[in-house]
Amino acid sequence: MISSRFVLKRLLLLVPVLVGVASLVFSILHLSPGDPALTIAGERASEEFVKQVEESLGLNDPIWVQYGRFIADAAQFQFGESFIIQRNTTVREVLVNKLPVTLELAIYGQLIGVFLGIPLGILSAVKQDSITDHLTRIGALAGISVPIFWSGPLLILLFAQVLGVLPTSGRISVLYNVEAIRVTGLVTVDTLIAGEWDMFVSAVRHMILPASVIGVYSMALISRMMRSSMLEVIRQDYIRTARAKGQGAKITVLKHGFRNAMIPVITVIGIQFGGLLGGAVLTETVFAIGGIGTLLVEAIKVGDYPIVQGTVLTFAFLFTLVNLGVDITYSILDPRIEQ
Amino acid sequence: MSTETKTTTETTTGTGERGLIDRVTASPFVSKLLSNRLALAGIAIIVTMVVVAIYARLFISLDAITQSQLGTNPNRAAPSLEYLFGTDGQARSLLPRVAYGAWYAMLFGTVTVAASTTLGVGLGIIAAYYGDVTDNVIMRTMDVLLAFPSLLLALALVAIFPDDLGLWRAVAALTLVYTPRFARVVRGAALTVLENEYIDATIALGATDPRVLVRHVLPNCLAPITVQSTLNFGLAIIDLAALSFLGFGAAAGTPSWGLMLSNGVSQGLLTGVWWWSFFPGFFLALTVLGFNLLGDGMRDALDPRMREAVD
Amino acid sequence: MTAAPDHSADERPPLSEQLGVRLRLVGTALVAGVVVATVSVVAATVLSDPTASVETAFALGSLLFGFGLLGWSGAVALGRGIESMQETLDTQTGWTEPDARRAMARIIGFGLGVMLGTMFVGSVVLGLA
Repeated sequence: MISSRFVLKRLLLLVPVLVGVASLVFSILHLSPGDPALTIAGERASEEFVKQVEESLGLNDPIWVQYGRFIADAAQFQFGESFIIQRNTTVREVLVNKLPVTLELAIYGQLIGVFLGIPLGILSAVKQDSITDHLTRIGALAGISVPIFWSGPLLILLFAQVLGVLPTSGRISVLYNVEAIRVTGLVTVDTLIAGEWDMFVSAVRHMILPASVIGVYSMALISRMMRSSMLEVIRQDYIRTARAKGQGAKITVLKHGFRNAMIPVITVIGIQFGGLLGGAVLTETVFAIGGIGTLLVEAIKVGDYPIVQGTVLTFAFLFTLVNLGVDITYSILDPRIEQ
Repeated sequence: MSTETKTTTETTTGTGERGLIDRVTASPFVSKLLSNRLALAGIAIIVTMVVVAIYARLFISLDAITQSQLGTNPNRAAPSLEYLFGTDGQARSLLPRVAYGAWYAMLFGTVTVAASTTLGVGLGIIAAYYGDVTDNVIMRTMDVLLAFPSLLLALALVAIFPDDLGLWRAVAALTLVYTPRFARVVRGAALTVLENEYIDATIALGATDPRVLVRHVLPNCLAPITVQSTLNFGLAIIDLAALSFLGFGAAAGTPSWGLMLSNGVSQGLLTGVWWWSFFPGFFLALTVLGFNLLGDGMRDALDPRMREAVD
Repeated sequence: MTAAPDHSADERPPLSEQLGVRLRLVGTALVAGVVVATVSVVAATVLSDPTASVETAFALGSLLFGFGLLGWSGAVALGRGIESMQETLDTQTGWTEPDARRAMARIIGFGLGVMLGTMFVGSVVLGLA
């Protein structure tokens, strides 16, 4: 079983992750062509003002002094204030506002991927080389061939414009003020907590299309992984023995195969969560949902480095935490492993 | 794709015209590939897109489809017999623009895949041949790069390159993103080749390192490299379009599929102008599907010893 | 069979020896980094602006250092996941967690060495303090 010492060790890993991301951002900041002082002051600023900005940011200190300060600030989650995107707002504040948006999208997308991908993979494996198997595999291949920024617009056109059953973009109807009932920042949760049924329905309706678009991607990988993992388990001896003893094929598979086949799939779900976050960047853009994905894109475009750093670090933390969760699930499924 | 590479390697051995074709079709890889209907469909799609791309490059004037056609053509016209794919907000007919997009996709896709193949082949062969610390550092670095989500890594890299490079900036970033995949495949294949006894014999006979690598190891890795290139071609086209879509690629007005989709989403979606996003996206997805079908078929046709390495 | 990686604790060498091996690994890379940084910064200074070359060298060092740290944490956190994914998807490349950690330790050491070397050249030789 999992020990608290193991969890603590994994959480301590966040320290090298933090220093690592901060070092990478620092080097990108100093290697990329733009002059940060000029970016902040604006292209048309007077030379004097640019000098002043340089002074206040300590850009004239030797680079190792700047590095030390940068890492020390990052270690305290002090990323400073946004240069451009939201002037005079701390990066932390911006992130707290935007993170739940992406988180909500990723959670529902992942759920769709898992709950469609696993059954499809099992079906494909149990009926290996049947029409169902081929269709599932071709479907998965088509799923990864269609880019999110095309399937998204098509779904919007079909369901929002032609059929008019789902909303086009955003997280909730503009008629409602979600900020007033904000608790977790996840609109589908907040509206339930507040007991606003109409608002909840609106939030769910807004979530359906983006979550499906993002979910199809992880579904493709999960079903492929589940299929090959399941096939491997089916081929193993004890399943054959169980079958020889006269148990029906379906029962055998469900009883013995599933649990063992799940183990490698669970770990893959953790690893592909990173890809899901990448997909979130595109999905947020298509559906005009302002989460940390679009924030990152904007920040890179305009050179708002404090925001870039905060966003990248948030992504890295999310990834690490999800994989910690995966490890805990893993050890529950496979008690042979001692942590 | 595969047949072409095969052909060139075979010609160097100096067989005659007829014998060559016989030999190519007799190879288990090619015959297995040609018996796969899905792979054949993939080849058909790719050939069609290449023809469209070359036609567009030769017969469509880039100026005429980049400049605004307001006044000449109807603005925002729906698809009709005259304007098969409709016109955009600048009254430009979409058909030639989408066709020209095929040229951009093929051109920049080829450059990205070729550059990352070259880099990856170099690193992979060096890692396999020298082993030990060299292998350890090169390959584990490649593994870390592989663990990053490709689009997020590409975004970070794009930030390093100056933005006046346009689409070449995206190409440079994606080249670095894809290099690890090739390095991994090539290292795996090269290790299999290096296990052969004749390599030891060649070294014992006094062959130099570069000679062994180029003459003996590289030719034997060609099949898995070709498979990996095909699989990555599709990815490269999607990712290039994605970077353009997010605003890190082609300059405004360029007829690239990603940029056309971006306009279609930001301006056409709310007003129901479906043809702005439908046509570029359709051809994008079709091309990618073609490469994925062919790549999957090629992987299945590959010698199982080599298949292990291809991801 | 996706067997559990065996953590045979009794076979491990004593702690001091383990520590020694690790220190030597990082130390060698660190020294290499210092040497490379010193030579290249001095060479670059002859050709161009000293401040700019020191900044670029230091930034490259921190790039490697940060990359190594991320890779090391990634190997520790995802090690088993990557191993079992490769096993199931038939893409074995001989990736193992200890191997990856060793490689990342080398990169961390080298990057740190470059940073220290640049700092040394910059402050002592060029007097940018």
